[in-house]
Amino acid sequence: MTAVTDHTDHTDHTGDGEGNGGGNEGDGHARTDGHARAEGHARVDDDSRTAPSLPEEERPLQNRPLGGDGSKLADDSRSGSGSDSGSSGSGSGPAATHLEKDADGTDDSGAGKGTDSVLGPESEGVWDDGLIARRVTEPTETVAPPLRPFPEPPANLAYDGPLRSRLDALRELVGLSRTRLDSKTLAEAGRVLDEAAARRRLSGQHTVVAIAGATGSGKSTLFNALAGVAISEAGVRRPTTAAPIACSWSDGAGSLIDRLGIPGRLRRRPLQSAEAESQLRGLVLVDLPDHDSAASQHREQVDRILALVDAVIWVVDPEKYADAVLHERYLRPLAGHAEVTFVVLNQVDRLPEEAVEQVLDDLRRLLDEDGMALGEYGEPGATVLALSALTGEGVAELRELLGQFVGERGAAARRISADLDAAAAGLRHLYATGRQEGLSEEARTEFTDRLADAVGASAAGEAAERAWRRNANRACGSPWLRLWHWLEERREPSTGRLLTRVPADEEPTARQRVEQAVRTVADRAAAGLPTPWAQAVREAAVRGAQGLPEALDELAARAAVPPGRPPRPGWWPVAVLAQGCMTLLQIVGGLWLLGQVVGVLAPNLGVPALLMAAGIVGGPAVEWASRMAVRGPARRYGLEAERRLREAAASCGRARVLDPVAAELLRYGEVREQYVRLTGAAGPVG
Amino acid sequence: MVTLDVRPQLLDALSALRDRVAAARFPLPLAGAPRARANRDELLAQLDDYLVPRLRAPEAPLLAVIGGSTGSGKSTLVNSIVGRRVSEAGVLRPTTRTPVLVCHPEDQHWFSGMRVLPDLTRVWTPQQDPKGDDHARPPGRAGGNVPGRAGEKAGERVMRIETADTLPPGLVLLDAPDIDSLVAENRILAAELICAADIWVMVTTAARYADAVPWHLLRTAKELDATLVTVLDRVPHQVVAEVSRQYGALLAKAGLGDVPRFTVPELPESAWGGGLLPSSAVAPLRTWLVHAAQDPGARREALARTARGVLDSLRSRMPELAGAAAAQYAAALRLTSAADAAYDSEHTRVRARLQAGAVLAGDALKRWHSFPLDCTAGELLDALVESLGEMLLCAVSAADARVDESWRREPAAAAPGLLNRTPGPETAEHRIGMAVRRWRRVLEEYAEDEADRLGRSVVPDPEVVAALLATALLGGRRARAAGEILAERIGAHSALRLRDRGGKLLTEYVDKVLRTERERRLAPLDALDVHPEPQAELIAAMSVLQKER
Repeated sequence: MTAVTDHTDHTDHTGDGEGNGGGNEGDGHARTDGHARAEGHARVDDDSRTAPSLPEEERPLQNRPLGGDGSKLADDSRSGSGSDSGSSGSGSGPAATHLEKDADGTDDSGAGKGTDSVLGPESEGVWDDGLIARRVTEPTETVAPPLRPFPEPPANLAYDGPLRSRLDALRELVGLSRTRLDSKTLAEAGRVLDEAAARRRLSGQHTVVAIAGATGSGKSTLFNALAGVAISEAGVRRPTTAAPIACSWSDGAGSLIDRLGIPGRLRRRPLQSAEAESQLRGLVLVDLPDHDSAASQHREQVDRILALVDAVIWVVDPEKYADAVLHERYLRPLAGHAEVTFVVLNQVDRLPEEAVEQVLDDLRRLLDEDGMALGEYGEPGATVLALSALTGEGVAELRELLGQFVGERGAAARRISADLDAAAAGLRHLYATGRQEGLSEEARTEFTDRLADAVGASAAGEAAERAWRRNANRACGSPWLRLWHWLEERREPSTGRLLTRVPADEEPTARQRVEQAVRTVADRAAAGLPTPWAQAVREAAVRGAQGLPEALDELAARAAVPPGRPPRPGWWPVAVLAQGCMTLLQIVGGLWLLGQVVGVLAPNLGVPALLMAAGIVGGPAVEWASRMAVRGPARRYGLEAERRLREAAASCGRARVLDPVAAELLRYGEVREQYVRLTGAAGPVG
Repeated sequence: MVTLDVRPQLLDALSALRDRVAAARFPLPLAGAPRARANRDELLAQLDDYLVPRLRAPEAPLLAVIGGSTGSGKSTLVNSIVGRRVSEAGVLRPTTRTPVLVCHPEDQHWFSGMRVLPDLTRVWTPQQDPKGDDHARPPGRAGGNVPGRAGEKAGERVMRIETADTLPPGLVLLDAPDIDSLVAENRILAAELICAADIWVMVTTAARYADAVPWHLLRTAKELDATLVTVLDRVPHQVVAEVSRQYGALLAKAGLGDVPRFTVPELPESAWGGGLLPSSAVAPLRTWLVHAAQDPGARREALARTARGVLDSLRSRMPELAGAAAAQYAAALRLTSAADAAYDSEHTRVRARLQAGAVLAGDALKRWHSFPLDCTAGELLDALVESLGEMLLCAVSAADARVDESWRREPAAAAPGLLNRTPGPETAEHRIGMAVRRWRRVLEEYAEDEADRLGRSVVPDPEVVAALLATALLGGRRARAAGEILAERIGAHSALRLRDRGGKLLTEYVDKVLRTERERRLAPLDALDVHPEPQAELIAAMSVLQKER
């Protein structure tokens, strides 16, 4: 028995279920067994872990545990996860339920196996043929009349819609955040998900309730009082209970107790009485060691099991109810679990009658200070009551409340929900901070402006405008002025264009400006984000900024003002012609006057003087007019040059920096949405 | 036989040590800092409240502090020993919030002054009739109008002093709050009071004797080698023998087997503290305490043992404090050097960039290309200065980002004001802008000087000279032409001199800007005042004390 593989364990376990369920069944039983084993075998084959000789070997083992009841629990626990996966074969959840309906509650083998099996959603597909095969043989199998107390197999724990949606949200959240956050931060959320999934695969008909409290508060006494028999050793020796003990009021809780890691030798049954059984049906009570003694391994056990159970009864006594350890270490962090919490003031027999209410009120006050909602006046919250496990005073009330609580079968889901709340609260600083407005239009504009500065867009535009105007003025200016310019240039060459330009500067883009622009925009985008996300945004910006200056260099060279003469407007020749005419007028007038002086021409002062004056006045007038007229086109030309550079720089910056940053912000938005979904009805996240 | 001889030198050394301990600060939130702070406070409390007053006045009455968990019946015990209700007892926890000191009327003068427990405000209650109206008061909070509480103001910690003839002179009882109270101040106060004790009376109960918290205290008492008494209270009479045996075994296992142990049974009176326990229940404890207080030998031994224990404990506690101080300094040093490294590397980068002429890029480069035809000297200067400012700002913010990044990995940087700085009214941009504009003005002055000195008839425009100079200085290799033109305009010699002066000025200003920003960055850390001295001083004070003993 000890040397068998987990396959043997699995069948062993199956037999276990049989034994548990139907101790007084008839002959049909063996056949069912054989059948189940055949199926088990098929399943093994499916898993390509072939062990053809297994069924034969198992036959003796199979029949062995049929007799007893309690002794097999040990095997049950030892089988561990191997049995979980294996036994899902013989009683897959939906399949078994289906079967049950078909057979009108008469198929005992299905029920028997179902009670102890772990139900996995994946087993549905695997068992299609098995179900059919079974259905074919069903009528012949219903020979023995069913005599089992709980005919229905425990259905899987089902979470309702909102809770499922919140679990999905948390899963998505963890998935989306994994690359951004370190695994330690997400460990708690992952644990909640795992526990929720694990609990879901187990029975929803049972409610696991742990009794926790300080040493000497009377946990074990209360446990015994509820069970009706002295299961757990109670004594004056402190600490008394060293290992958790489980007690199940109905069948089928084996796998649930497996999950708590309580070995078979520490599993008990309550006193058999029909009344107690019907009242507390579905209850699995766990007696925990103390949490405050000097033995630290006790505390570890308590912490481990408290994370797995559906509800907790905190036992306090008049001496210890205000202990800092209890409140600060347990009740305060678990304040969100108020709905699945009972707080029981034990040992009221040690108090005088009138003090009980006082102490109870004080206890309520302390719980309130811990942030735990109290279930008073029909509101959901923790149940507080006083009792004495020793004298039995108040135990009946607790039993009734527990029965009601267990009967509702909502504790597991409520616990998961409270866990989700706690996980959400723990992650709050990562997903919800004061403000988050994304990247404002203003910040985007500022960024592109900075890039434009870095490539020198405005200076280039201004230079282009001025150059254009200069050329135009020179072209439209009076020839005398041009002559003078030319002479001056000849005399002092250094005032002209300085030197021939270096053909192309390397790195014309201001690196520091680009760097600063990227940093500023990243800081703006990251402002108000939780640290890991801010970091991700910054990294995206920095990654995008790599090679940005080089790209801008290239782009500046491409989009810069094309060398050579700028284009001329159509009216330019007219202006030049007019200017020429004016000069001609001056010359003609001058010559005419000269002719009169010389005496070649008839003296006529009026007309030539007028001509000359018109030329002298008209020249600057034309110059002035064209100067005015050139202003607009020059400005347009400069602006156009500036715009080309600016847009090129902006598009480069958008593609390389702004878009990745926006994508990162979008991802954060998604995660945040999931977080809001996770918090569910907890209200909007600020 | 333990003896204790007290010389003035020892007292001097002790007060010097006390001052050093009081001066030790642990401002950086390192892993060990809260512990070090607590240790320091505890040590200080022990020195102030116990060791120094005790060595100064060995004849002062013996102080026995009754400490224990909530609900272990400390107040009932004190009341029973005294024989009248001096300390409020009740069913609601925590009961005792105000410590109550009970002494013989003759001893009152020892405690009315600030000799011990100077932090606690004294509150007196009028002398009551010994057989007063104790039972007239209903039990519990209903009778909570205790005189001591009347004097309790928010934030002020008080100690109530009661006198009782029933207590022999030379013995003082102090009822402390719970050591594991839900109220954090109570816990701190309880620890402080226990530190002041000559005799530690640890009370536990049948339900509690395995609790972790009281055992922690017991172990501390053992470490300090204090005179210790344990009381196992509220033991139901059916299980007295077994519980007592169990507790004894646990004590023996912890190496405290020789500690006097008293068992007080649970009586109806102890349940809700309304009444007093019969004197027979507490007689052994009372006898032991009276003996310790009145028998000269026993008294000396009790005193000397606790005092020596504290003195001996200094040998391990002082190095621990010194170690924590050293860790603080090391952390501060790490932070500073991280900031220094960031700024230094940025400084190097700035220098390299200046050399390469990175300032003459973008706008400034475009301006320079169109100078002088399409751009005035003033515009070129403006663009250059702006570009220089931008480069410095970039260097500073890059350095800050690097500092942030490396500090984020340091737990010590979580101290307020180090990370997540709130920018003041004037930003770095503003300060750097001021500095570069000032540089420009000085440069223009230099140019004017040089132009004046030329004394030519055709004086070149100083602004043009300044612009050319700035271009030559900031443009590096790509502005070689600017240098040539400058030399052409004002002569090679003058140009060289100008460039030399201007270059020096530039270096000076850049250095100043980066230095200022670094200092500003480190200012909050400097304000925390973490120095290497406390460590050395603590160790030195300790060694002086060792020599004097």
